[in-house]
Amino acid sequence: MMLARVASELYWMSRYLERAESMARILDVCSSIALLSSRSGDPPDMLVSEPLVITDTEKAFAATGRDLRMDQVAQFLAWDTQHPSSIGNCIAACRENARSVRGAITAEMWECINDTWLLLQQRRQGGAKAEPPIDSAFFDWVKERSHLFRGVSFATLQRGQPYLFIRLGTFIERADNTARILSVKTREREDSDLVADYYRLGAVLRSVSSMEAYRDIYRDAIEADRVAELLIFSDQVPRSLRFCVDEICQILERLPAGSGRRARRLAMQLQARLNYGDLKEVYERGLYVYLDRFIEYNNEMGAAISEGYLELRN
Amino acid sequence: MAGVSGIPVSTVAASSLFDEMFLPDGGVRTHYASYADWLATQSPESMAHKRAEADLLFRRIGITFSVAGDEGGTERLIPSDLLPRIIDAAEWDAMERGLIQRVRALNRFLHDVYHDHEILRAGVIPADQVLGNPQYMQGMQGLDLPHQTYAHVVGVDIVRHSDGRFYVLEDNLRVPSGVSYMLSNRKMMMRLFPDLFRRVAVRPVEHYPALLLQTLRSSSPVDQPSVVVLTPGRYNAAYFEHAFLAKQMGVELVEGQDLFVREGGVYMRTTGGPQRVDVIYRRLDDVFLDPLAFRADSVIGVPGLAAAYHRGEVVIANALGTGVADDKSIYPYVPDMIRFYLGESPILENVPTWQCRRSEDLGYVLANLKDLVVKEVHGAGGYGMLVGPAATAAEIGSFARILKANPANYIAQPTLALSACPTFVDQGTAPRHIDLRPFVLVGRDIRIVPGGLTRVALREGSLVVNSSQGGGTKDTWVLEAGAV
Repeated sequence: MMLARVASELYWMSRYLERAESMARILDVCSSIALLSSRSGDPPDMLVSEPLVITDTEKAFAATGRDLRMDQVAQFLAWDTQHPSSIGNCIAACRENARSVRGAITAEMWECINDTWLLLQQRRQGGAKAEPPIDSAFFDWVKERSHLFRGVSFATLQRGQPYLFIRLGTFIERADNTARILSVKTREREDSDLVADYYRLGAVLRSVSSMEAYRDIYRDAIEADRVAELLIFSDQVPRSLRFCVDEICQILERLPAGSGRRARRLAMQLQARLNYGDLKEVYERGLYVYLDRFIEYNNEMGAAISEGYLELRN
Repeated sequence: MAGVSGIPVSTVAASSLFDEMFLPDGGVRTHYASYADWLATQSPESMAHKRAEADLLFRRIGITFSVAGDEGGTERLIPSDLLPRIIDAAEWDAMERGLIQRVRALNRFLHDVYHDHEILRAGVIPADQVLGNPQYMQGMQGLDLPHQTYAHVVGVDIVRHSDGRFYVLEDNLRVPSGVSYMLSNRKMMMRLFPDLFRRVAVRPVEHYPALLLQTLRSSSPVDQPSVVVLTPGRYNAAYFEHAFLAKQMGVELVEGQDLFVREGGVYMRTTGGPQRVDVIYRRLDDVFLDPLAFRADSVIGVPGLAAAYHRGEVVIANALGTGVADDKSIYPYVPDMIRFYLGESPILENVPTWQCRRSEDLGYVLANLKDLVVKEVHGAGGYGMLVGPAATAAEIGSFARILKANPANYIAQPTLALSACPTFVDQGTAPRHIDLRPFVLVGRDIRIVPGGLTRVALREGSLVVNSSQGGGTKDTWVLEAGAV
């Protein structure tokens, strides 16, 4: 048993940090691809706008009046204080949530996220004259801090409800992120050719830390079908849709059943589809449609969790 | 942390002040002897190193208070001085007896003014001073509280004057704060100077949260009551303390939005459905507790809480309406309360107070404004007051006009010279003014952890120990009997 408000703060704390990490992964991969294509001139607009498409922020970006250039897109997604899901805002929101539930997390967890936030302030101030650089070193740092926080949580927090809500937030956010990356990167392209595909698919795999898993499992060339199969149906890869949904189901089973009935039903239905589905079914509907539907369904599941456990009901 | 409102500025030369560590001839007081021996063996470099270490630890642990008005709710550290304030066993025993006596009388007074009004009918305190007081809560009249306890947690502000005696400056019977700094200071000192605690027998304070929990549990008629700490939220200046105490006691830290009232009781909203709450240790003022009963614009309260309280479905600590007993206009009568209810003579002294509502007092005050501190009766935080010795002739003149227009609104006290305690400064140590806030817990019996929070005015000559104005804190040591 715990306060619904505290559960909510913990859930969003981990969602925000996962979102910051995802944003760093998306930017890292998109900017390295853009770099590859730009050897023969500026990267095409489609590549530059890709991170915006993935995160559903094309309109918000256009509204800032920034030029559609890779560095401007990166600045927007990493620092923009007006953009609620920028890396900077996500880390601040994560820390703010942690601060309000310090009693429910360990001192080490608080110190880790507080430290991350303090270091982020320093980085921001370090580039006071111009906007601070957004480069691989920065993306690595964000990922590292996120790994560190997850590790500290894993190693120090007692296995009660707070831990479960923290994990729940992580996997709901991560499933959304993997589906988004996959849906944009595997769209049919006019400029499709073997070499471009190789880089694009390689980038997808790297952005979800699954290159090694792909090599290990398929021991063959990188093909779009297999990438989709791995990232949707694998029960081994920690960022695949199935893996995330399996985790969500396990967590929900350990939470009080009564109020979470709807969330459980949705999660188990989704789990059945992933456990007993295959690529054939995906292609019948079209990969893009399939993933779009998954994102919607995942959102619905998140809403059911909020409604069941996190909202303040009488 | 609420400040000591209206600590007067001293005009007494530093040499005539009472120094907690040193005798006027420069010798060390007996109860500081062991500490002084130890300090003599420490190099300035080692002490500087320890200070840096302490700073780092406080910042990492995040023992901070929020500064109101700062953008984004800036968090600041409260400086903690590493030189302890030491109180000897006999002196503490007397103070402890005095505190218990005072708090017993105050609780009796609160019960009386909300029931039979004996003290008013006996003419000891003018009835209009109590019943017409804005802090008097009409709705509490006739309500029976478990064990007749109104103030469960009391912080009494005490200062030592240059005559060497302790005086009570004010009783805080609403939501006194600062105890988390007392506990953090001790933890820090024991971590930095473990050998020191082997040399000097200091009485422990670490069990305060356990005592507080015991006090709160025993305040309820329910068996195995469920206790919560109610905070205004994370932007409150004392939020760290609220979270700290809840964690130390192992109870939920709730905000108003986490609670709701329905037929039969108060509940908190949890992931497992509604859970009954029996005792609320509230850290917000009366008027914010229930938008239906008090301030309708309060978003941090619980609608219907006051009604549930009146039905006896929940204990609120401290009770509603305790403010009438720590009001400045009632303060002068506390010694009379002790005599009236307990038939004892007061152990702790009040600061002599002139009530300007009495014409003979007003005459004296007007004639002696340059030596006195004049305060508004219901004022707090040092607003609307005159500090005679620090005021210009013109200021005194204009204040006299205001005073004459509404004398009942003012009291006056002599300027006190707060005692000083050596404190680490950039070059070595120097005396700085201090006060003391012991925390008194009222359960089945009255318990006080030895000592309390010592606040220190870190600026030279300053008497303002308020944390928002450059004040710091010190670990407070009460020695075991027989220890030196």
